Amino acid sequence: MNHSDFIAPNDIGIACDQLEKLKGKAHILAGGTDLMVATNLRRLSPQNLIYIGQLGLDQITVDDSNLIIGAGTTLTSIIESADAQKQAPLLVDACKEIASPAIRNAASIGGNVCNASPAADGAIALLALDTDVTIVSTRGKRSVALKTFFTGPGETVLEKDELVKEFIIPAAAANSKHGWAKIGQRKAEIIGIVCVAVNMTVEDGKCQNVRIALGAVAPTPFLATKAAAVIEGKALDDQLIAQAAQTAADEISPIDDIRASAWYRRQMTNELVARILSGE
Amino acid sequence: MPILNCKVNGKRYEVVVEPTTSLLEVLREKLMITSPKMGCNTGDCGTCSVFLDGKLIRSCITAAMVANQKEVTTLEGIAPQGEFDPLQEAFLENHGTQCGFCTPGMIMAAKALLNENPKPTEQEIKEALSGNLCRCTGYKKIVESVQAAATKNS
Amino acid sequence: MAFKTVGKRKPKYEGVAHVTGESKFVDDIFVPRTLTVKAFRSPVHKGRILKLDTSGAEQMDGVAGVITYKDVPANAYGFGADQPVLVETDIRYNGEPIAAVAAEDAKTAYKALDAIIIDIEEQEPVFDPIKAMAPDAPKVLPAGNIMMFDDLPYNLAAMGDVEAGFKEADHIIEETYFFPDQEQTPMETQVSLAVPEAAGRITVYSVCQDRNMLLGMLAGILQLGSEDALKCECASEWAGRTRSAWRQHAGLNRLKMQSGPVGGGFGGKNEFHADPITAILALKTGRPCKWRWTREEEILYSTHRGAMHITYKDGVKNDGRIVARYIKTIRDSGSYVGFNGYATGKTNSFANGPYYVPNLRIESAAVFTNKPVSSTMRGFALAPATFAVEAHMDRDAKTIGMDPLEFRFKNAMRRGDKLVNGQVMNDTSIIEVMQTLAQKAGVQLPDHLYQMTSNDRRE
Repeated sequence: MNHSDFIAPNDIGIACDQLEKLKGKAHILAGGTDLMVATNLRRLSPQNLIYIGQLGLDQITVDDSNLIIGAGTTLTSIIESADAQKQAPLLVDACKEIASPAIRNAASIGGNVCNASPAADGAIALLALDTDVTIVSTRGKRSVALKTFFTGPGETVLEKDELVKEFIIPAAAANSKHGWAKIGQRKAEIIGIVCVAVNMTVEDGKCQNVRIALGAVAPTPFLATKAAAVIEGKALDDQLIAQAAQTAADEISPIDDIRASAWYRRQMTNELVARILSGE
Repeated sequence: MPILNCKVNGKRYEVVVEPTTSLLEVLREKLMITSPKMGCNTGDCGTCSVFLDGKLIRSCITAAMVANQKEVTTLEGIAPQGEFDPLQEAFLENHGTQCGFCTPGMIMAAKALLNENPKPTEQEIKEALSGNLCRCTGYKKIVESVQAAATKNS
Repeated sequence: MAFKTVGKRKPKYEGVAHVTGESKFVDDIFVPRTLTVKAFRSPVHKGRILKLDTSGAEQMDGVAGVITYKDVPANAYGFGADQPVLVETDIRYNGEPIAAVAAEDAKTAYKALDAIIIDIEEQEPVFDPIKAMAPDAPKVLPAGNIMMFDDLPYNLAAMGDVEAGFKEADHIIEETYFFPDQEQTPMETQVSLAVPEAAGRITVYSVCQDRNMLLGMLAGILQLGSEDALKCECASEWAGRTRSAWRQHAGLNRLKMQSGPVGGGFGGKNEFHADPITAILALKTGRPCKWRWTREEEILYSTHRGAMHITYKDGVKNDGRIVARYIKTIRDSGSYVGFNGYATGKTNSFANGPYYVPNLRIESAAVFTNKPVSSTMRGFALAPATFAVEAHMDRDAKTIGMDPLEFRFKNAMRRGDKLVNGQVMNDTSIIEVMQTLAQKAGVQLPDHLYQMTSNDRRE
């Protein structure tokens, strides 16, 4: 039957039931800032929409060791949250540079991650923050490390009847340092040509738990593990920074597209990683 | 078919929609409220900007049913009938409008800013308006209009 | 004499409507029973249509009318009388409209487009005007890719003897400049609403910037006039005439065109985009027809500024005088004549800048390529030339080691100088303008430059 529905459940269990029942014939709607664009451009014809705005997935909480952000939390809410500013300032920095104010008021962090663009700023920041993703369905709950969540451009490990509930980010350590950089063709409303998110702690002048996440330079949000290994456990100096930056530029697999060439992306990766590491 | 029940500029409406009908389509084509414009239909240009429960959003990429049981405010509703909001006066006096097509969205974005931050700096104004494109003015007069309106408020 | 308006601050008359949201742009006008229009566009850059079957669209529920070239009364408009409203056989650019549908809503209109069957013999296109000038390049126009001006493959403007001038020069400085095409990107896209009225009349709400010209052209396309009028080659010749007899003769009394407020044009709304198709559909279906171009259609298929390759070859003396100048311009005209011939004349008048050169030769070519027609935008055909001439003046000055401002003063026009089109400059003041500008900009000029005037005789 050609009948199409807008379903707005108040309960996450009902949402999962609906997702299972309509498996493959329903799209999850949060802020809609990706889904409705694709619909308006006629790249997508959603038959049914399951709206998750009434499930209470927009809460930000802190427990003993983690910052927990509901998948439906808007980017503006993250930016304005005192808890997020304290525990995940890297994510706040990234969210501030996504799109524009009106988009940030509606767009959800869950949507940014699940849309799985290789340039997704929120996803890149979360990747550098060692985030875990909580996924729910009628089969129960499971947790997936974000670094294994993406399988290709626009593709994730999610089954068609699964819903992302929240993101679990380890609380910021006392001596943590971070840096964010994004370049594009304008100063606002830009899809990144290159984005860089760096997170680490510094003990006795040495870098620990270094994470360097890169956007728009690989088929998915990319964790530059080789570059991180260059400085892990070491004190930063100009030579080491240059080496790490070059390693990052070498381990990515950028493409030429309408925004920039692969060559330019390698140059900028090198430049931005170096700048962030020097500034820390 | 879903039924949208919402208030627009203080008046209650009930409209039959499809799941993917946008709020912009409802406002313009069903309710004949035409100040929000369709400049791109992909959320990039800002001409469709309205308030949903007081928050600035892009009506072109908001599914209409998301506004169910909520309140929408458009440019027509920011000042009582027959009166001008200080922003409207300021845009008139400071040449912040030329062809007029970006003006409704631009004033809504400025209003959203002044509602939260009545004394914005020039940089804060530019960031608040960073999602609204104008091809006529070069933006300088628009920023001056918002500054003038902010001065009026104090 | 006391002025009522000059020197006074006046409110922008449509300003209140703009800031209250009351301004009614074309898409804001709602007439009951209006149909939504969408166009079926060519998927290829160049080709021949072998077969077109619109029956699937015509028979669809919710479709009120479908049109093809057969429905266009006079299917060749424009200054070259060469541009079809809907393609009959030869496709010249990707996106060129081949058919159009009017349906109850956009969803149905898109479904109707999907039901149209077409068979195209794809041909090799050419996009680069330089390549298009080669004798073996694919033909964009049947007559060839270079617009002819009598026997010449360019529009010529010349005075004096450039070859003699070059022999006299101490330096020959040559360079080619490229100014790319540009999309005007107004915030409002192309929109048209055509409303059939009683007694065979029609009202078209248009976003055009040049309503009087397009009024005549549209009457010509729709063939609203008498038999005699139909024999006229181009109804646009008559646009704007006020004699009521002629208006009736040309059918202009049956066509009302309203344009404005326009949501930005910048030259991108000087040629037909949506109006002829909505008008024909309105007359065919008997119902109002509205067509709003998407932003993607606007960027890809609407008219845009034509790219220009501009070469300057200057013969310069060590004392700073330009004694000879040869300018070659190649305008990428897209796939129809449009304003492109006229553009070459404009370039010829202005490519030399506000300078006097006694031996001048300007060759402005219009070359066709398989792209949407190039048109007007903000000083079209001269903004690119202005960029090029000023860049070249700097290059000349640098070559001879002269200050670039002094170089311009030296060659600036004076009263009594002749332009290349024969016009004598009786009242030019470029020297005074430069002096005032320097003062306002805080640029210190040497005294002898402040002492120059436009009345000084040339050495």
